[in-house]
Amino acid sequence: MADIQKYFTKFHEAIKLKRFEENSTLVEKRDIILNKLAAGLKKNFEDKDESVPKYNWFNQGSYEMGTGIKPINSDYDIDVGISFKIAKDDYSDPVDVKKWVYEALVGHTKRVEVRRPCVTVFYQKEGETEYHVDLAVYSDEECNSDGKKYLAKGKLNSSSNNKVWDHSEPCKLTNLINDHYSGDDHKQFVRVVRYLKRWKDNNFKIDGNAAPIGIGLTITSYDYYTPKKDLVDVFANKYNYNDLSALKNVVIRMISCFATYYDNGTSSERLKTYLPVEPRCDVFEKMTDNQMADFKKQLNALLDALNIAEDEVDPVAACESLQKIFGDDFPVPEKSDTAQKKGPAIITSSASA
Amino acid sequence: MSVTDNLPTNQIVYLRPKGGRVLIPEVILASIAPYVQNSWNKPEAGGVIMGRYIKDCEDIVVDKITLPMLGDKSGRFSFFRNKKSHQKVIDHEWEASNYTCTYLGGWHTHPEPVPTPSFVDKNDWKRNMKQDFFDSNCLFFMIVGTAEIRLWEGNKHKNSLTALNRI
Ligand SMILES: [Zn+2]
Repeated sequence: MADIQKYFTKFHEAIKLKRFEENSTLVEKRDIILNKLAAGLKKNFEDKDESVPKYNWFNQGSYEMGTGIKPINSDYDIDVGISFKIAKDDYSDPVDVKKWVYEALVGHTKRVEVRRPCVTVFYQKEGETEYHVDLAVYSDEECNSDGKKYLAKGKLNSSSNNKVWDHSEPCKLTNLINDHYSGDDHKQFVRVVRYLKRWKDNNFKIDGNAAPIGIGLTITSYDYYTPKKDLVDVFANKYNYNDLSALKNVVIRMISCFATYYDNGTSSERLKTYLPVEPRCDVFEKMTDNQMADFKKQLNALLDALNIAEDEVDPVAACESLQKIFGDDFPVPEKSDTAQKKGPAIITSSASA
Repeated sequence: MSVTDNLPTNQIVYLRPKGGRVLIPEVILASIAPYVQNSWNKPEAGGVIMGRYIKDCEDIVVDKITLPMLGDKSGRFSFFRNKKSHQKVIDHEWEASNYTCTYLGGWHTHPEPVPTPSFVDKNDWKRNMKQDFFDSNCLFFMIVGTAEIRLWEGNKHKNSLTALNRI
């Protein structure tokens, strides 16, 4: 079989986002926000003659997991956790604590919003959102009697039952992903996650919950991935990785895990995937049944493209099939790049019957 | 009903005896289709096959064929291929492809559904393997029948011919 792996490798190089600390522009933007937050909190609390709340911050999200990809039809996002040294029991309304962050940052850009899971600062360039910073607000585990970390959820005008402190383990999740397999096997796992995320960006609408969320695809890969590689040199213990096979294996298992669920006389076919850490929710729970049906349809189209590419003799045609499903960042080689160079040929005449 | 209704139009893939595959893409089959000897007045036709030896494997992709040209002679049951005009195409394709589109062998038609090589064909193929100059160990010979297209792989060193099976 032709060597398609090198085209997957090029594709991965084209779509991957470096780890957060390696991206100086984003680090700079984050630090501006963190400085602004510190200054704003200090001012707002000193104006009220109250002591300024203490907190620590940490990176979270796909950068920290090493699974980030370059966005194609949305903006860059920066995920930061702000963990206040407060007991959640002292603040019955978690949105009060989110307001501290909101009020410290509002006016910093044209658009700062309290969204249900976080406070978001949007940066715009020529009218388009260029990137946004999500600040997730926590009550720190050191300050809670049960030793747990809680995420503040709710919007400014949410009803009280939509304002909750949710047990959450963001760092534990980051560590689970980072420690999933080791060495080159871990690297293949991360590549598979990135392929699925770009497939998602290339095949689903961005509005609402039409697309499966990135963390959902990360968790399904975490659940279903197994390394696919061929031993090529027993003595050097050298393997050739086969990303097509690894991705196909995850996709097949995803499709086979769709199941019919019955509820109050209605039934729906869904893929349920639970966070391996608190709050252990179904990562795809927000998708409607129609969105789920589209999700499955798109997974089958992905599987078809992978099968065609796997069986195809001509690497050019194989890559064309993959480019259709992954978009223009998947390279299609020139015919001459796929073949061995040959010396000249001289033919004689021929007589057939 | 014409028997050519059975002739494949999708790509054909053959399995090579020692592993690897030979791909005849749809576009090649389409250019051969007009020459299929499916009526009494169509003469035998033929040409050379060119294509790629894919890197890191034993797979081969047919990318070009030549069609009957000036200087060729064809009858109902015979075809004579003139070397000059076909050689020109081989040289041009080879240079234009950065020396990757190479001479792979020859093709011709038969007015029978499932073609088998004649005595003349087999002798010609063996002579090709000895007298043609090419940068590999093997040549491929294709006979286009009215219902099937068959492919043989000839080994230069073993002086052998093997009929290839389709996948
Ligand atoms: Zn013949």
